[in-house]
Amino acid sequence: MAEIILKGHKVAKGKVEGEALVSHEPISFLSGVNTETGVVIEKNHELEGVNIAGKILVFPVGKGSTCGSFIIYEMARFKTAPGGMINLRADPIIAMGAIISNIPMVDRLDGDPVDLIKTGDHVELDADKGTVKVRSRH
Amino acid sequence: MQLTKEENEMLDGKYGDAVQKSMEILVAMGECYDAEKMITVASAHLLHGRSNTGKAGALFDKEMADKGGKCVIFTDTNPSGIEPWAWRDIGISEEAAREQMDYTNDFVRMGVFLANTCTPYLIGNVPRVGEHVAWSESSAVPFVNSVLGARTNREGEPGSLTAAITGRTPAFGYHLDQNRYGDLRISVTAKLKEPHDYATLGHFAGKVAEDRVPVFTGIPPSVSWDDLKLMGAAAATSGSVTLYHVVGITPEAPTEEAAFGPKKPSETFEFGEKELRETEESLSKATAREVDMVIFGCPHASIGEIRDIARLLSGKKLKSGVELWILTPRMISLYAEKMGYLNIIEAAGARILCDSCPICMSQGFLKGRGHKTVATNSAKMTYYIYPHQGLLPYYGSMERCVEAAISGIWR
Repeated sequence: MAEIILKGHKVAKGKVEGEALVSHEPISFLSGVNTETGVVIEKNHELEGVNIAGKILVFPVGKGSTCGSFIIYEMARFKTAPGGMINLRADPIIAMGAIISNIPMVDRLDGDPVDLIKTGDHVELDADKGTVKVRSRH
Repeated sequence: MQLTKEENEMLDGKYGDAVQKSMEILVAMGECYDAEKMITVASAHLLHGRSNTGKAGALFDKEMADKGGKCVIFTDTNPSGIEPWAWRDIGISEEAAREQMDYTNDFVRMGVFLANTCTPYLIGNVPRVGEHVAWSESSAVPFVNSVLGARTNREGEPGSLTAAITGRTPAFGYHLDQNRYGDLRISVTAKLKEPHDYATLGHFAGKVAEDRVPVFTGIPPSVSWDDLKLMGAAAATSGSVTLYHVVGITPEAPTEEAAFGPKKPSETFEFGEKELRETEESLSKATAREVDMVIFGCPHASIGEIRDIARLLSGKKLKSGVELWILTPRMISLYAEKMGYLNIIEAAGARILCDSCPICMSQGFLKGRGHKTVATNSAKMTYYIYPHQGLLPYYGSMERCVEAAISGIWR
């Protein structure tokens, strides 16, 4: 079983482990995700119909409205938010959402997470140390 | 991050739970963006429409109030989701009104001033050159940064509220000199005759600049605050323009060299008669000839704009079934009443709608009132009115919109 360790930069504190869900496209939380179910609803998005609740969500960057921080916060209340987040680079709206919702999050890793991590991989995310341990499921 | 003794005490809980939680959030944001320190901010501006912040957002704000959060700097509000005096008249439900009033009350508990406007700089909240502030509201942010020369990032509610409670914001982004220089040039060769021509230019600029800093050349010295208000709002809608410079007009651009500083413009876009015409046409999305709603005051109208609308409406009557709303803060409505404009406007069958905005009201409210097609002189309004209220827009000059309200037909 292959294991890689990526090192990067803390966005929001905490530790979490779980199953990776990877999006190669940016994600908008306002109008892009159903907050009550955690299912991605943006038309033609590569994750359309997929539930992000509890997953370690890996995506390049956020997009869209400045309401996004509060949408993530609302999902955390409904327990539909991702368990952790890994970005290429965090935009202030997603970063603020992770911080106020206590969702561990890292960015600027020493390898491209969207490329190196596959959906279904087991991920140990330690935001305080800035490390991501990825164990391939195969 | 290097914190002062007082900032460390905030973080340790010496000033209570709300200050502690706010400082934790701001430090986390600062660390995320490699800010070296906190800076003191002079004012904050908060979103206020209950339908914009959502249930959890409202709860976040309520919890800050419950934890004893108090604004330590001048802090005021964006438009409310209801017209505080006439909400029953226009058909807002008891439930929506109650939700908004509860939300507003949490702001009052924290010592927030109810400016209830997206143009608080028209009623006395005017940051000065170089002053650091923490403002929400996409149209106010470029006005404050560009026209006034103060400094703010594009804040969401959590960023501006935590700044209000601590008086601090992390030093990154548009607070720093090196991030305030121009990235690209927009050379204006079109003759800008009407105020809405500036909104058209803003829409064009936001599309090409996206989140970069555009520098405008060729804008005449006669450009007014009203023109720049419409322009910045449009640029922050079609793009996420946070700061722009107008050479010879705005405080950080006495010359083109000053506007670009050590940078070189990466690109130059020309805005000529063709771009003016094509952009204006692209903003009208409606197809029906009939117009049943006309909206002015996006961003909220100044006293000068209200005078101009009153002159156009003087002695006329709106076509039956058509409504014309002028959005403005109550303060400016009282001014309009004193000047006699309110009488003229009401005699024509139009309304000054205070302290609110259809984009802050409950989603689908206007469609529920039976409206289908709106005419407006605001490029920003043309973008949000359909997803938020289900109305298709016509876009044009103030005169053309008033004419549509009188005839009921878009020409």
